[in-house]
Amino acid sequence: MFGRTADRLRTFFSVPRNRNITLLVLVLLVLSAIIQVPEPHVSLAAEPILSQGPRWLTNSLVTTLVVDVVILAMALAAVIGMKEVPSGWQNVMEMLVEGIHNLTENVSGHGTVWTKRFFPWVMTIFIYVLVSNYIGLLPGVGSIGFYHPAEGAKKEAVLVEEVAQDPDMGDGVLAASVPVGAPAEDKAKEVFIPLFRAPSADLNMTFALAIISVVMTQVFGYQALGGKYFKKFFNFGGKGFLGVIQAVVGILELILEFAKIISFSFRLFGNIFAGEVLLFVMAFLVTFLVPIPFYGLELFVGFIQALVFMLLTLVFFTMATVSHDEHH
Amino acid sequence: MEVLDRLGITWQLLLSQIVNFGLLMLLLRMLLYRPVLNMLEQRKERIAQSLRDAERAAQAAAEAEKEKAAILEEARREAQEIRAQAAREAEKIAQEIRARAEQEATEIRVKAQQEAEAQMEAVLMEAKKRIADLAIAAAEQILGRELANREEHERFVDEFLAQQLGGTP
Repeated sequence: MFGRTADRLRTFFSVPRNRNITLLVLVLLVLSAIIQVPEPHVSLAAEPILSQGPRWLTNSLVTTLVVDVVILAMALAAVIGMKEVPSGWQNVMEMLVEGIHNLTENVSGHGTVWTKRFFPWVMTIFIYVLVSNYIGLLPGVGSIGFYHPAEGAKKEAVLVEEVAQDPDMGDGVLAASVPVGAPAEDKAKEVFIPLFRAPSADLNMTFALAIISVVMTQVFGYQALGGKYFKKFFNFGGKGFLGVIQAVVGILELILEFAKIISFSFRLFGNIFAGEVLLFVMAFLVTFLVPIPFYGLELFVGFIQALVFMLLTLVFFTMATVSHDEHH
Repeated sequence: MEVLDRLGITWQLLLSQIVNFGLLMLLLRMLLYRPVLNMLEQRKERIAQSLRDAERAAQAAAEAEKEKAAILEEARREAQEIRAQAAREAEKIAQEIRARAEQEATEIRVKAQQEAEAQMEAVLMEAKKRIADLAIAAAEQILGRELANREEHERFVDEFLAQQLGGTP
C-alpha cells in the first residue's frame, strides 16, 4: 500500500517539471512566512492623496482619470486605421460594441427608436464599470502610495472604526475582522494612503452612475409616455378602496425609484470594495499563492457586476418606456 | 450628512463623476460607437451586396451554360447537315465518275472492236492477196509457164477465193 504510493511519488518527482513546481510552491510558502505583507489599510471612503492638498483630490478621482484615458485609448486603438476586414484589437472592440448593441436591441425591442437612445448610456456604463472594476486588480493599485501624518489619518481611522461598529452600515463583520485603526498607531502615527483606488470602490462613482441611471429612466419614461408617465407615482384618480390602493402603490413606486439608487450604488460598491478587502486579507494571511484563486474570483465578479449594472439599467429604461395601460 | 461624510460622499466628487461619465459618453459616442456601428452596418451591406452579386453571377453562369448548350446543339445540327450534304454530293460525284468511266470504257471497247475489225479486214485483204499470189505462183509452177494474161488470172483467183470463203472478208 505505502510502497505503491511511494512508487507513484517517485515517478511524479522524477519529472523535472513536477519537481521544480513543487519546489517553487514550497519556497513560496516558506517565503510567505518570512515576508509579511503589512496589515491592510481599509477605508470606506476614498482618501485625498495629498495630506496638505485639497480634500477633493482623492485617489479614486486620480484613478477615474486613468480609467478615462484607458477607455479612450482602447477606443482609439480600435478606431484609428479602421479596416473593413477587421483584425486584432478592432475585432475585440467590435465584438464588445456589437454584443451590447444586440443586447440593447433585444431588450428594448427591434425596430424601435429606443435602441438608439439607450445604447450610448448602457454601453458607456458597461465599459466604464468594467474597466473601473478591473483596474483595481492591477498590481500597484492600492499598494503604491504615501505615508501621511497621522493627524488626518487618525481621524479617518476613527471614522472608519465608527462605521465598522455602526450596525446600520452592515459592513461590521468585514471591517471588524481587520484591525482597521491599527496602522495609524503602530507606524509612529503615520497612515498609508494609496495613490490609486478603483473608482467603483468609491461610493461617489457608484452613486453617480446610479443617479444617472435612475434619472435617465425618468427622462426616457417621460419621452415615451409624456405626462402619463408620472401617473405611475401620483395615482390619486381612483375612487373607493381600489383608489386608495392605487395611491399607495404609486407612493411605493416613488420610493422604489430612490431605493434603486441605493441598491445600484451599494451593490457595485459592496462587491468591488469587498473584493479588494478580500484580496488584501488573503495577501496578509499568506503572502504568496493563496490570493491567486481570489484574483480569478474578482475577475469574474468585476465582469458580472458590470453586466448586472448595465442589464438592470437597460431593463429599467425599457420598463419605463412601456405604458402600464398596455398590460391590462 | 454625517453618514455621507463617513462614506466619503461629497457633492463635488459626485458631480465630478456625473460630469466625467457624461463627457466619457459623448467622447465614446463620437470615437467608438458611431464609427464601429457604421462599420458594422457598412460591412453588413457589403456582405449582402456580395451575396446578391454572387447570386447574380451564378444566374449569369447558368444562363451562359444554357446558351452554350444551345450553341453546341446548333453546331452539331449544322455539322450533321454539312455531313449529309457532303455525303450526298460525294455520292453524286461518284455516280458521275462511274457513269463517265462506263461511257469511256464503252467507247474504248467500241473503238477496240472497230480497230480489231479493221485489222482483221486488213489481214484478210493481205491474206487474200498473198493467197492469190501463192495460187498464181502455184498455178505457174504447175503449168510450167508464166501465165500470159496476168490480169485475167488475178481476176480468176479472186473469183475463186470469193467462192471459197463464202463472202466473208
